[in-house]
Amino acid sequence: MNSLSQKKRKTIRFFHIHSTFIDILKYLAVIFAMVWLISSGTQKLGYNWQWYRVPKYIYTFKDGRLGAGPLIHGLMVTFQVSGISLLLSFAIGLIAALFRLSDSLAARLLARCYLETIRNTPLMVQLFFIYFVLGPVLDIDRFLSAVLALSIFEGAYASEIFRAGIISIQKGQWEAAYSLGLSPVDTYRRIILPQAIRRILPPLTSQGISLIKDSALVSIIAVYDLTMQGQVIISETFLTFELWFTIAAIYLAITVTLSVLVNFLEDHLRVLG
Amino acid sequence: MQDKQFGDYIITVDNINKTFSNGVVALSDFTTHIRRSEVVVVIGPSGSGKSTFLRCLNGLEDIDSGAIVVDGIPLDDNRKNRLEIRKEVGMVFQQFNLFPHMTVRDNINLAQQLVRKKTRADATEMTMDLLKKVNITEKADAFPAQLSGGQQQRVAIARALAMMPKVMLFDEATSALDPEMIGEVLEVMKTLAREGMTMVVVTHEMGFAREVSDWVIFMEAGKIVEGGTAEHFFSNPQEERTRVFLNQILT
Repeated sequence: MNSLSQKKRKTIRFFHIHSTFIDILKYLAVIFAMVWLISSGTQKLGYNWQWYRVPKYIYTFKDGRLGAGPLIHGLMVTFQVSGISLLLSFAIGLIAALFRLSDSLAARLLARCYLETIRNTPLMVQLFFIYFVLGPVLDIDRFLSAVLALSIFEGAYASEIFRAGIISIQKGQWEAAYSLGLSPVDTYRRIILPQAIRRILPPLTSQGISLIKDSALVSIIAVYDLTMQGQVIISETFLTFELWFTIAAIYLAITVTLSVLVNFLEDHLRVLG
Repeated sequence: MQDKQFGDYIITVDNINKTFSNGVVALSDFTTHIRRSEVVVVIGPSGSGKSTFLRCLNGLEDIDSGAIVVDGIPLDDNRKNRLEIRKEVGMVFQQFNLFPHMTVRDNINLAQQLVRKKTRADATEMTMDLLKKVNITEKADAFPAQLSGGQQQRVAIARALAMMPKVMLFDEATSALDPEMIGEVLEVMKTLAREGMTMVVVTHEMGFAREVSDWVIFMEAGKIVEGGTAEHFFSNPQEERTRVFLNQILT
């Protein structure tokens, strides 16, 4: 009896180790297959990899001093566009969510129209509309057009996230705040939003990451962001694969950093309450 | 309790009606007058409208018709009146409804600072006094989730008292508690009653009703079936329905 169960346990352990081993093998096989696919594909293309030409577009080294290359200049523009748009889109999203939840029919209707219009039309069309139609009327340059279009577009999605977070807070919280005499503004500011933000941090992060990636689209109105700089370099050098891989890696680095930061923030907030 | 001195009428409820949007009649032609320092216990089967009555008193539910006046202020659409009543009427909920993202101290400080415009130091002073009163001083820096149900409810009572209300409403304050914690919350409520707080209490705790109530209201289907002193109510109920209910609940 005893020996049997021991044998059984050994078998189980064997299979456990065995399956982990198989998993690693599978993983390596997939990676190997991908590398082989890309390398054989590019071989068939007859592509001539010239990675050594890429670094000078990232940084320059002149007179013994390190300087930023065009890609870093573009990255800075991407940071500016995304950063400002991120703040603006969350502000717009929050306001639209509050409008949606307000007692006023006009406010609700306005927020609803905004959401449906923006969510159901392509960002590219909105960019063109703001830059070519509103731009001359309001006298705004391409950078501002880009920021405005991104903020308004992402704000629509953010508003749904905010709304979901706000209505997820139990009715009892509102009632407690009401019975203590708190004003609606104080109730939102001190009771509802602090709790809602904690809950919506994960989807809000996804939204932020989307925004950073969508910011690549501003290159179509010739804002010299990371993507636009890349396109310019490619058209001059034909380093198509090298640069697109580099640019993708830079975007990946930004978005992964953002994810990690928010994860850290989430853990910190969870401890607090 | 019998020789307690009552003041003038602090709450007058005249002919109020309330029908929910799903067609359920919660209150029908409901009238009652409550004097200062009176402890009124409202009992009745579930769905009889007792919680709705309580929630109408501070405007958490709107009435369809009738009139409610609290301490001379009519509870109407006027925002200022409504705010004044919300400040003067404290409420304790079945589910405690503490703010989970704040410490016990901040829970109690919050309305003092935001509504009564006190400084943090002044608010904290009162908060600590109140925590002493509800026997829970050592938990000032704890978060609600770290407290037992009984402790949370005592904090909730302290939070309501911090506004120095003239009336306290208790909406089944002990119904969500484990049996061994009901006593500690009832004890705090009894202390308040003895100190002369005007209280309207919806409860199933007949012992509390018998011991501290000055007036008991038995409700059914949105109406008062019978009202009377605790003595009269428990020893000699007049209505058949009251007798049936008391038999059910006391056995």
